[in-house]
Amino acid sequence: MADYRQMWSDLGMDLEKHDLLCEALPGAFSGVFLSQENRPERMNYFNFVVAEIHGVRPAELVEHKQKGGKVFGTFCVYVPDEVIIAAGAIATGLCGGSEFWVPGGERVLPANTCPLIKASVGARLDRTCPFFRLADVYIGETTCDGKKKAWEILNQDVPVYVMDLPQMKRQGSLETWASQIRRLLTRVEEITGNRVTPEALASSIRLVNDKRRALARLYAARKSDPVPISGRDALLVSQIAFYDDPARFTAQTSALCDELEQRVAGGTGAFPKGVPRILITGSPMAIPNWKLHHIVETSGAAVVVEETCTGTRYFENLVDESGTSLEEQITALAERYLKINCACFTPNPGRIDDILRLVKEYRVDGVIDCNLKFCQLYSTESHLVQQALKDAGVPVLHLETDYSEQDAGQLQTRVQAFLEMLGR
Amino acid sequence: MPEELFYYLLFPNHHEGLKLYNALKEAGVGCTITPTPRFASRFCGIALRVRGDLLEAVRGVIADSGVRVEGVVPDNRER
Repeated sequence: MADYRQMWSDLGMDLEKHDLLCEALPGAFSGVFLSQENRPERMNYFNFVVAEIHGVRPAELVEHKQKGGKVFGTFCVYVPDEVIIAAGAIATGLCGGSEFWVPGGERVLPANTCPLIKASVGARLDRTCPFFRLADVYIGETTCDGKKKAWEILNQDVPVYVMDLPQMKRQGSLETWASQIRRLLTRVEEITGNRVTPEALASSIRLVNDKRRALARLYAARKSDPVPISGRDALLVSQIAFYDDPARFTAQTSALCDELEQRVAGGTGAFPKGVPRILITGSPMAIPNWKLHHIVETSGAAVVVEETCTGTRYFENLVDESGTSLEEQITALAERYLKINCACFTPNPGRIDDILRLVKEYRVDGVIDCNLKFCQLYSTESHLVQQALKDAGVPVLHLETDYSEQDAGQLQTRVQAFLEMLGR
Repeated sequence: MPEELFYYLLFPNHHEGLKLYNALKEAGVGCTITPTPRFASRFCGIALRVRGDLLEAVRGVIADSGVRVEGVVPDNRER
């Protein structure tokens, strides 16, 4: 079997502790994914990525660094990967989605911090994730108070550069965000020693847009009934998008879409036609957080779309590819990224518009609005989300959870009751 | 009907695993790429999961393809 222990050791990882994660992952994966019937054949690529998640891709990043390249770790869909890639560097997602990393985060963070932040900090400080070891610089942002303070703690251990995201979409916000992208570009140039040219940025804009197009195609297939792919599998694809080589990811996702479109044409579904169709909205679900999707889909419903950062917020809207100067391209990047409707904005009516639009587009029977515990922004915004859905006559269930399995039974009971209420 | 018995095929590296996956696909023999379960090996990485009734067909493809397989482990855990 592949033995990556030397690489992990060279990265300064805690091998003994990391082994506990390696031991737990196969069982968790098997329970959620291999228990499904009639999965698309092309999901095998994404199974492969999970199986080798701390092996193949980290080894590629090591090779890149050995050639003098830099790796930037990111935590948010607002950070424009295009700028990093245009400087010859690699951008990799770093959000932690496992309870395994939470205690490590709790050693330095208040217990009432959201599990995503605790897990992300724990993965770094516990030295149990190669991606957190490989990133030369972390790119943070100001999308919530918990993250803003966590950057200061992480910055004691690894350089963190923070982008200052405007919190209101009003006159001047676009220019403010464009200036932040310009500053990031300068910092990335300093760190990599490479100039970002308009040609390189045009190329990386196309590369990342292609990834968005592939994900949009995947989601378009999910509008069919029967739905050709489970929500768990679609979520896994989205989660892997944050880690994989962008061109390879696009090729593999496009091949999956070819298969999904054939399944749609042949009437083949991951679930029988007519099962309740669920939209999940709220906090992001970083890998390996498959908890809610698994509960919903083992309770007789299909998750057909996610209005989350690991869903539509990640890929909707393309960057205008027509810019030929850096200034035009930076403006195009700012315009696209500022269209993301995150709960950190006030007011944030765009997110509610998105949810109502997606309900129609995906023929959704009910919405589950789920936030991570102590995620104040999505928890608070839930009031307006629920109000708008009720006004529109769309059934909605609000849930709050974390990465532990302790509340799984309770969640399942509530989800099952919600599905019964849908009367499908 | 008794539950199906599955086997996990183990490899020295992921290249060999993917080679056999492609060869099996070409031969029309069903298999699934999975993370290697701890009961099968203490090392991480990919394994191929195949149904017991396909094992003879799998062995034939292994012989023809020359893929290096390090182990074939039945899933005897309580089901």
